[in-house]
Amino acid sequence: MLMISPRMASGMQEKQYTPSLLSFFIYNPKFGPREGEEEKKILFYHPIEIEKNEKIRNVGLCEAIVQFTRTFCPTKPAKSLHTQKNRQFFHEPEENYWMVMVVRNPMVEKPNKDGKPPTVEYQEEEIIDSVYGSVLQQCYCMYKLFNGTFSRAFEAGGVELLTQKLEKFFYRYLQTLHLQSCDLLDVFGGISFFPLDKMTYLKIQSFVNRVEESLSLVKYTAFLYNDQLIWSGLEQDDMRTLYKYLTTSLFPRHTEPELAGKDSPLRPEVAGNLLHYGRFLTGPANLKDPDAKFRFPRIFVNTEDSYEELHLIVYKAMSAAVCFMVNAAVDLNREFCEQLDSLVGPQLTLLASDICEQFNINRRISGPEKEPQFKFIYFNQMNLAEKSTIHMRKTSSVSLTSVHPDLMKILGDINCDFARVDEDEEIIVKAMTDYWVVGKKSDQRELYVILNQKNANLIEVNEEVKRLCATQFNNIFFLD
Amino acid sequence: MDQSQESGNMEEVRICDPSILPQCLDQTDVAYSDSDVPSENHCVNEDHRTPSDPEGLLESADPTSVEICQQQELLRDMLKLQTDEDRSLCAGASETDSGKASEDSALADSVHDDSGEFVVTMLAQGKMEEQGIGMEGALSSLSETGTPPGPPSHRNEDVTAESWRQHRKHVFVLSEAGKPIYSRYGSEEALSSTMGVMMALVSFVQSGDNIIRSVYSDEHTVVFMQRGPLVLVSVSSSRQSEQQLRNELLYVYNQIVSMLTQASITRIFEHKKNYDLRRLLAGSEKILDGLLNLVDSDPSLLLSAVHCLPLASSLRDSLSQILQKAITPNLVFSILIAKNQLLTIVQEKMVIDDARLEPADLHLLLNLIGASSAFQAGEIWTPICLPSFNPDCYFYAYISYLDPPECTVCLVLLSTDKEAFYSVAECKRRIEEAMQTQNALSSIAKAHSYSVSQVGVSDLRHFMYKPFDVPDNHRQLTQFTSPEMEAPYNSEEEQMRLLDLYRDMHGRIHSTSRPLKLIYHVAERETLLAWVTSKFELYTCFSPLVTKTSAINAITKLLRWIKKEEDRLFIRYPPKYSTTPNPSKSSKGDAH
Repeated sequence: MLMISPRMASGMQEKQYTPSLLSFFIYNPKFGPREGEEEKKILFYHPIEIEKNEKIRNVGLCEAIVQFTRTFCPTKPAKSLHTQKNRQFFHEPEENYWMVMVVRNPMVEKPNKDGKPPTVEYQEEEIIDSVYGSVLQQCYCMYKLFNGTFSRAFEAGGVELLTQKLEKFFYRYLQTLHLQSCDLLDVFGGISFFPLDKMTYLKIQSFVNRVEESLSLVKYTAFLYNDQLIWSGLEQDDMRTLYKYLTTSLFPRHTEPELAGKDSPLRPEVAGNLLHYGRFLTGPANLKDPDAKFRFPRIFVNTEDSYEELHLIVYKAMSAAVCFMVNAAVDLNREFCEQLDSLVGPQLTLLASDICEQFNINRRISGPEKEPQFKFIYFNQMNLAEKSTIHMRKTSSVSLTSVHPDLMKILGDINCDFARVDEDEEIIVKAMTDYWVVGKKSDQRELYVILNQKNANLIEVNEEVKRLCATQFNNIFFLD
Repeated sequence: MDQSQESGNMEEVRICDPSILPQCLDQTDVAYSDSDVPSENHCVNEDHRTPSDPEGLLESADPTSVEICQQQELLRDMLKLQTDEDRSLCAGASETDSGKASEDSALADSVHDDSGEFVVTMLAQGKMEEQGIGMEGALSSLSETGTPPGPPSHRNEDVTAESWRQHRKHVFVLSEAGKPIYSRYGSEEALSSTMGVMMALVSFVQSGDNIIRSVYSDEHTVVFMQRGPLVLVSVSSSRQSEQQLRNELLYVYNQIVSMLTQASITRIFEHKKNYDLRRLLAGSEKILDGLLNLVDSDPSLLLSAVHCLPLASSLRDSLSQILQKAITPNLVFSILIAKNQLLTIVQEKMVIDDARLEPADLHLLLNLIGASSAFQAGEIWTPICLPSFNPDCYFYAYISYLDPPECTVCLVLLSTDKEAFYSVAECKRRIEEAMQTQNALSSIAKAHSYSVSQVGVSDLRHFMYKPFDVPDNHRQLTQFTSPEMEAPYNSEEEQMRLLDLYRDMHGRIHSTSRPLKLIYHVAERETLLAWVTSKFELYTCFSPLVTKTSAINAITKLLRWIKKEEDRLFIRYPPKYSTTPNPSKSSKGDAH
């Protein structure tokens, strides 16, 4: 991505380039151990146009780096390579399968007079390893969610099947990476939970139980409202990846009529005698369509042990979305979908308006929102709960933050400091721009606050954060 | 005293080999003061073939001749080097290498001839006897170093052992051709394949019109740095910032430059890319080892500032005056050190107008002195390059301890004239005399660092304070002050832990991309505050339960205390003297 910097160098414009993906490849050194067979190691390589020898050279360098670091610690090989122009991230998600992501450092292009080519200055310290390392790990998790493990594919259909799957998945997925807007939230990979009163929560739980009882094929269920999770029967790590898929890919692709305008006409989806708003986000777009296809995306969960392959049915009514997961061995047909639609549609419509009502009441009680003196990110490692008032909106294309990118990077730095020791800690820093940034870690919870008051002193900053903790996190103990 | 008479008393050995420094520290000082060495020329030829010199052996056993030709093949080789447990390749390489050995040494000789300008004057025992300086100590010390000392134990380490991998920080120096020059742990021979891989990585990335900076794993940070024909690599589990590790490598590079000068390193490798620099650095491992220990344990290198021994300003002034009076032409710096901390420094004002001794250069000098007991032997006259001052030329350093046998107070006189030994030695005599009259040594002996309790702030455990260029308009030697580390930081581990905490904060607050003004860090065992303003840089350590309010009060008190004590803690106005350079440059006779 190119941005024109507001700084003008003697009337000529500097061009600022944000980090971008240079290449992405996956290899297995065991697949081409002999000389002259190096190409066989490479299972996937983006961009595809790169010349064969160049690919081999780049893979060779990664192998050499990994091997070299094993001299000093055989069990903990290289995670990243920093060079003047780029950073390479290494990830070995399965034994001998290596994923490598090469990100170009941000750079400034300064025009020269007299028609000389512009001077390029690489900003080598801008990229935070933990952020982009996490992005690479997410790549694998997302692949695995929809394709299962590398080794299973190899066992089933050899290198041919594996490379086919990799190409099919990553060709599309890499286009959605948006490396220029990655930040601390990518490190957490958390889940935003919808705050709810006990009554409504129980209603949802009983709804889930009822549906699972009536539709015995349903193995797991997850319930979301407003892109926030309320209930999930999946393992945490699987849910974390599924949540990421739903909120950054699937939901944004189906912009809701109820979001576009409140008074959208009722769609007369008549099931029985009830009007409802339910519809499938995966599978058949319209049940009435005689040519409707009843194909659902497959997902793979619990790959560590039971290795289950499931149909992913996402069904939505207004702001409420439910994922039903059904064993992939079962053939899903029109009959099942109609049954699900007639059972779930009306109930979910009702539930969605209940939640909406409850949500509005709660919001009225807490009073009108005034611009607070601080912005914060909260993350709890135990349940992956995440909350950010820094990120205004997360869409598939870009995550918008309301603070300067440098402050976001300071949050990343503090997070790295926290990761070093397994102790409760607090770090308060004053940036060169005079903004105060506070990080607190207690048990498995982390809180990051950016304060707007520039001329506050340390003691005032402390008071402000205390107030925040009292109002937002009154049940959580943080170090004073 | 007549000059010719004097050279009779004294063995004057010209070694056309710039590695004088290490040699006068170790086996070679005896080898060269041996009167069997017949002539200067012969000496040059014998240089790397003396029995005590292991280089003949090294040459043929040296398995690294990494020629950078076809990168792709090289990378394949790199992997093999690692996986095949080095056997096949090492054997192959050593064969080809020994074949080249004769050509190699011929070339090396030409390099030696070329660098004939480097001259060292060694002081023979007779001379010391005549002057009656610390003879007892000198003799025993010399005989200690007389027999070639066995290499320190960590040179013999098994580089495949877990204990080798467990070292906190490895440092490697190699030449662009991949030839090992130095390794902190394990012998260079055993590590030659590892170093070959390092060089291959550097040149591979270079071939893509790029520069390798570092590699990160969960355990280690590997930092690469290229300086001229040398490549330096740090493999550290200390979690320091890349910038800090890079600075440390720069210290290592500069220490090598301080012995050889940058110009001669460049020239040597221009002549012969494959040159084995260890020939010139034989014996200097100890100096580099010492430097790396200092880097890990002494915050002055981190802060790029000099630690002064606290001293009543009247005493410091009178010491400065003594130095100011004992001058001779071409003398440029007079430095007095006690307990490895600076007492005072006086500099020439004409020759080095507007320049100052950089802390980094002083650290290298102090390390050099500290790294060898040979300096305690009496008087040493040795060329030394101060890289920050000028990386291409030598100063000539006169180094002598004033309080043998304790050897805590050391005088260093730097001259620009290599022939000035006698006149500079005479300065020392005058300084010694003046100090005796004023009973200065016993006053110095009473001076010591201070306890943090003297500040009188209850929760404060330790601090480091570095003022910037005070007073105004006076380019100062950058200094810092810091109390002794006391409980709970008595053990070596705890001291290292505290230093690591300081290093963390230093790294963040001075981050190249995201510098900060202040860091307040509450951890389980202590609370730390780092603060950088336009006037000073401060790092403080408090007990963990200190409140923010009391920490801020403590800092106010601390700053007030430092202000009150600054005349004692710092060299406030570094004195100068004038030694108009002698135009004839023949200063030998000037001493008398």
